[in-house]
Amino acid sequence: MKKPGDLEINKQDISFSTRWWANLQQADQWWLLVIIVVILTILMATLRPDPFMRIVTFVSDGIWVTIYVTIITFLLVLVLGLIGGLGRVSHNKLIRGIASVYVEVVRGIPLLVQLIIWYFAFPAFIKDIGSTWNIPALAAYKANPIIMAILGMTICYAAYMSEVYRAGIESIPKGQMEAARSLGMNYIQAMWYVILPQAFRVILPPVGNEFVTLLKDSSLVSVVAVADLTRRGREFMAANFIPIQTWLMIALIYLIMTLVAARGVRWLEKHSRYER
Amino acid sequence: MKKSDTIIHIENVHKRFGSVHALRGIDLDVQRGEVVLILGPSGSGKSTLLRCINRLEEFDRGRIVVDNIPLDNAENINTVRTEVGMVFQQFNLFPHLSVMDNLTLAQRVIRKRDKKEAREIGMELLNKVGIPEKADNYPLQLSGGQQQRVAIARALAMNPRIMLFDEPTSALDPEMIQEVLDVMLTLAKEGMTMVVVSHEIGFARAAADRAILMDAGRIIEEAPPAILFKNPKHERTKLFLSKVLS
Repeated sequence: MKKPGDLEINKQDISFSTRWWANLQQADQWWLLVIIVVILTILMATLRPDPFMRIVTFVSDGIWVTIYVTIITFLLVLVLGLIGGLGRVSHNKLIRGIASVYVEVVRGIPLLVQLIIWYFAFPAFIKDIGSTWNIPALAAYKANPIIMAILGMTICYAAYMSEVYRAGIESIPKGQMEAARSLGMNYIQAMWYVILPQAFRVILPPVGNEFVTLLKDSSLVSVVAVADLTRRGREFMAANFIPIQTWLMIALIYLIMTLVAARGVRWLEKHSRYER
Repeated sequence: MKKSDTIIHIENVHKRFGSVHALRGIDLDVQRGEVVLILGPSGSGKSTLLRCINRLEEFDRGRIVVDNIPLDNAENINTVRTEVGMVFQQFNLFPHLSVMDNLTLAQRVIRKRDKKEAREIGMELLNKVGIPEKADNYPLQLSGGQQQRVAIARALAMNPRIMLFDEPTSALDPEMIQEVLDVMLTLAKEGMTMVVVSHEIGFARAAADRAILMDAGRIIEEAPPAILFKNPKHERTKLFLSKVLS
């Protein structure tokens, strides 16, 4: 029974504009923050081109280096982390031991120290070997900053990622492996076709978080001669002596990148659930 | 029993879990086409024995030969597993795959059938278990009884010569048990060799050639179900049956 005063709403009657508003409210509200930060940045750059547009122009190549280093590292981390994670759950004691030592050692050393080791200590070590054993090719070794930065970050992050993979694999009920094995699949086939596709869905949120953290930690590569966003910011500051405006702008650019990345991760999570 | 040739030969099998002696010297021969029901209280080792047959569980001592293949190395074990279908208490369907993909995955990976052939076989089996309309659904959209029937179809898709059932109806609501038992009865009538761990006395009476009672890792008594249920020889069997039959 309808009571007087009840609103009668036929869903199909809702006009386009109301629906648009309803959709916006339902949509991830964090997008609003992204939009506000982007608009703020654009306003700053257009209303005060000096210094803000100058800063953006100056550091723009650094933005690309940051994105490039982050994405390449992340792809390598996904692969190496998978290998590490499989090693951690292996039934072979030797493989499991190697994987565990790798994870424990790498996680116990700060990323900044690891990057410095790869860029400064490792090449020096190679050169020493070259001169001791008279191998000119090694003695003349010169490290490429970007390659060493990507290598250092990959090895560090893959250790953390191994643990993410391990947790994901271990979260899949034992019966799944048994069912696959009882159908005649070997361990690798069962992993590939049955366990990992399920584990990937489980670990998507932590993997996404790792990506965002990696994006931020990539600023550490600025200390090993990679001209990323942070390093370009320091160069601009050194030349222009306007630290407040420079670092406000750099922080905003990082914030836009991490917010967008986090939204992308959330979108992926939503679209990878099981159908029920 | 149709014919006297042994398809599963179990000889003096022992299995320990730490300090628990789960199997204490099991000897059992199953004939081709025979349906064997294994009964027993929980912890009696019946599931462990079943899982030893396709080596999901390793055993410490003794010998198991399945269809003339001894379970002694990794290659033989995988061969045996393709010949032996297994149905689990918890169904263990692959939740990330549709019902049809559950049925075709192993066919394509192990039997190397092409997609079309695998789907045809899958559809045929879904018809057989009575749910062809669920081919494109995902396992978690199905009722327990339907999931278990898909699990049986998935095992059958590999054309096994033996089917093992590990308490196939224990996780089901009462009204769904019969639909699963009906599929098992059909299989038994078609001459499939079956080893079933279950307390479904009705199924045993209708389909089993032999019922075995296990307790504390040993086979206590075995006989055709009609005889075992009516005139058990051992006190242990009487006690157990009085609980199950009531």
